[in-house]
Amino acid sequence: MSNTVRVQPDLKFVQELQQVGGESLKKCYQCATCSVVCPLSPADSPYPRKEMVWAQWGLKDKLVNDIDIWLCHNCGTCSDLCPRGAKPGDLLAALRNMAYRSLAKPSIIGTWMSSAKGLPILFLIPALIYMLIWVYRAGVLGTAFPLFATDGHELKLAADGAIIFGGLFPGDFFIDPIFGAVFLFMVFAFASGIATMLKSFESMPKTFIVGRGKEPCFLCCLIDTLKVEVAQHSRFQSCGTEEKDVQRFTGHLFVFYAFIALMVVTSVVAVGHWFGAFFLQHLMGIEGGLAGLIAWAGHTPMPLWSPVKLLANAGAGALIYGLIKLTSRRTALDAAKSSSNWYDWYLLTVIWGIALTGIGSEIFRLIGQKVLAYPTYYLHLVFVFMMLAYLPWSKLGHVVYRTVALAYARKIGRLPMGELK
Amino acid sequence: MSNNSILVVGGGFAGITAALEAAEVGHEVYIVETNPYLGGRVAQLNQYFPKLCPPSCGLEIQFQRIKNNPKVKFFTMADVVSVTGAPGAYDVKIKVRPRYVNANCTMCGECEKAATTSVASEFDFALTSRKVAYSTHLFAFPQRFVVDAAACAPGELDTITAACPYDAVDPNDTEKTFDLSVGSIVWATGWKPYDMAKLTNLGAGKLANVVSNMQFERLAAPNGPTSGKIERPSDGKAPKRIAFVQCAGSRDENHLNYCSYICCMASLKHVTYIREKLPEAQVVIYYIDLRTPGRYDNFMQKVAADDKLSLVKGKVAKITECECKSPILTVEDAVTGIKGEERFDMVVLATGMQPSCAGSKLPVELPMDEDGFIIGGAEAGVFAAGCAKLPLDVMKTAQTGTSAALKAIQNVVGR
Repeated sequence: MSNTVRVQPDLKFVQELQQVGGESLKKCYQCATCSVVCPLSPADSPYPRKEMVWAQWGLKDKLVNDIDIWLCHNCGTCSDLCPRGAKPGDLLAALRNMAYRSLAKPSIIGTWMSSAKGLPILFLIPALIYMLIWVYRAGVLGTAFPLFATDGHELKLAADGAIIFGGLFPGDFFIDPIFGAVFLFMVFAFASGIATMLKSFESMPKTFIVGRGKEPCFLCCLIDTLKVEVAQHSRFQSCGTEEKDVQRFTGHLFVFYAFIALMVVTSVVAVGHWFGAFFLQHLMGIEGGLAGLIAWAGHTPMPLWSPVKLLANAGAGALIYGLIKLTSRRTALDAAKSSSNWYDWYLLTVIWGIALTGIGSEIFRLIGQKVLAYPTYYLHLVFVFMMLAYLPWSKLGHVVYRTVALAYARKIGRLPMGELK
Repeated sequence: MSNNSILVVGGGFAGITAALEAAEVGHEVYIVETNPYLGGRVAQLNQYFPKLCPPSCGLEIQFQRIKNNPKVKFFTMADVVSVTGAPGAYDVKIKVRPRYVNANCTMCGECEKAATTSVASEFDFALTSRKVAYSTHLFAFPQRFVVDAAACAPGELDTITAACPYDAVDPNDTEKTFDLSVGSIVWATGWKPYDMAKLTNLGAGKLANVVSNMQFERLAAPNGPTSGKIERPSDGKAPKRIAFVQCAGSRDENHLNYCSYICCMASLKHVTYIREKLPEAQVVIYYIDLRTPGRYDNFMQKVAADDKLSLVKGKVAKITECECKSPILTVEDAVTGIKGEERFDMVVLATGMQPSCAGSKLPVELPMDEDGFIIGGAEAGVFAAGCAKLPLDVMKTAQTGTSAALKAIQNVVGR
């Protein structure tokens, strides 16, 4: 044997992997059923069979640099047909969870996010921040459940007034600066994560593809990815054809577009407030006309007939519908074939929390139940914080990581078998 | 009251062996066989291990021993209905289905010529059809035709009866039940090929040129539907490229969660059939692990030297077919890490052995494992043999038959 390769297994890594969801990986006997039945796996070095043997051998270097964990969309067909119940789909999910944990800095959040043990601190951070604001504002206003009347741009306490969340938690001084900072924090964290990820992809062996022209630019690929894989969920659609797969595709599509709708609403509010009301009206002194319309469109609370409010409510409805699909699929999973892990339930729970407290806040506000409305809104703020601030370390991090990986895969021509042109 | 006689359920290789071993030391033995013939699965093979003999070779000797030994009585088309009593004194109720053909039969075949209705041949795994008056195979033992009266068209039974020059067809034959008193029971009910219809990703048994390994035995057998010519079921052409899919439904928790022991060897044996009959054909065996128990490894080495045979590590997990009915396999070569589609003229699925008893209620209480193999019963005076006990080759099947016979004898002697 002239080319003896000494395998140096990282046994601790194998154990870690088993803990974060890959517990059945040792059952694999390398038959390669999984790589064949996977609808997304490429012809050259298909996944997930090779990941299974790498995981069994503890080849950490190979696995942490593996782009394929992001190309998998987790339909579970491999696990369903696995003759040994080795759950390759669960292993890839576990590897993604490891990536969420370690890609972005600071990694301490990754540690907190990796198990239920970290949940109290993750919850307490926003819970304390918003509780402090609530207590402080209650002191200023003289009540924890204030009612307001509008007086021009100002809000005044009024015993027969209305519930206005912005009165208790003022956007200008508390909500917007905090979420602005959270957003920036998240962007920087992602930037560090993407840099780590791209560097790891560079270290992969290159494949020369016969008959393929010049490699397209990364940006072109990213745009194509956004148009096809993201906007149309094309990979998701071809990922499995069973009823549960259709359920997942529909559920994910609804949740995705619900978030797009809610993001548009948030942007309209931010632009209306900061650009319309603050910059145009307050600083520049322009009243009426377009400035007035911009300021009005973003002014909260909105009348129910406002197109922005209609979009917001449609988004909330779509979110609930999508969540029901995704949750019922997950609860119906055959535990012998695929299982759900902490990352799955954290994300589903937080999004359920956002949806229910969001809708709850609106309903309690409209029916004037101030004792219910304000605590519900408070919880809504906590849930939104928990989704946004920890996003790069949560399963939702796939929004960015998978998109980048899919674009990179397009660039290097790593496409499902039969799709390469 | 104790009884010295022994009941053998199943007249395949294990059952025949057990029966003869016991009879030849003086015990009265009854063989109850559900098929119209003795010899079981071995009778359906083209050649069998270890020496690649045709089945007539080994079975002929056994049948001679049965014929020459008045201690052995056998009932074909018969089933055990119930077992009562205790070890040493069992009362067994037997039901014999009507054969409509008596001992006058000379196998002349006039009844078959007179018959008009055809149904799928069980013996040839539906590769061909048989008439309602038929003989399963040339060397069938007992040498006697069968009339499938239930499948006859109105009036056809009378035509068949009239066609027989020897008054061998008895249209008034009926189902009979009778009781046997025995001291021990040997349970040798054997196996059935795993149902291809359950292998949905491998074509679910619907693809024209995808056959099971047992069907392939019939195609290669001189007494089979093609008189031993290996040809595509769809168009009768000789295949130029043939693939074997190992572990088709075996070692798979969704199907048979165990290794059937002999399928790897069977496929290698099939390569020797192909080489003999189609010297130019290319063959690929796709496997997870090539399992060659004991001395069978020598056989593997010999067959693997064939330069038109490739052995590829990788389980076929998808089969479709093109318009020309050629099967297209999708497989990842686990050594090179390349996945691709391969077109063949014909594909053989190496399906495993499922115990015949799997999923059915037995007339006697026997401990079974979750797959349906008998894993005990000795304390009740019932001894499993052959593939009812575990997947085996013919040689080991014979050994378990002998072993069960010895235990059955010990159970009745000295009571």
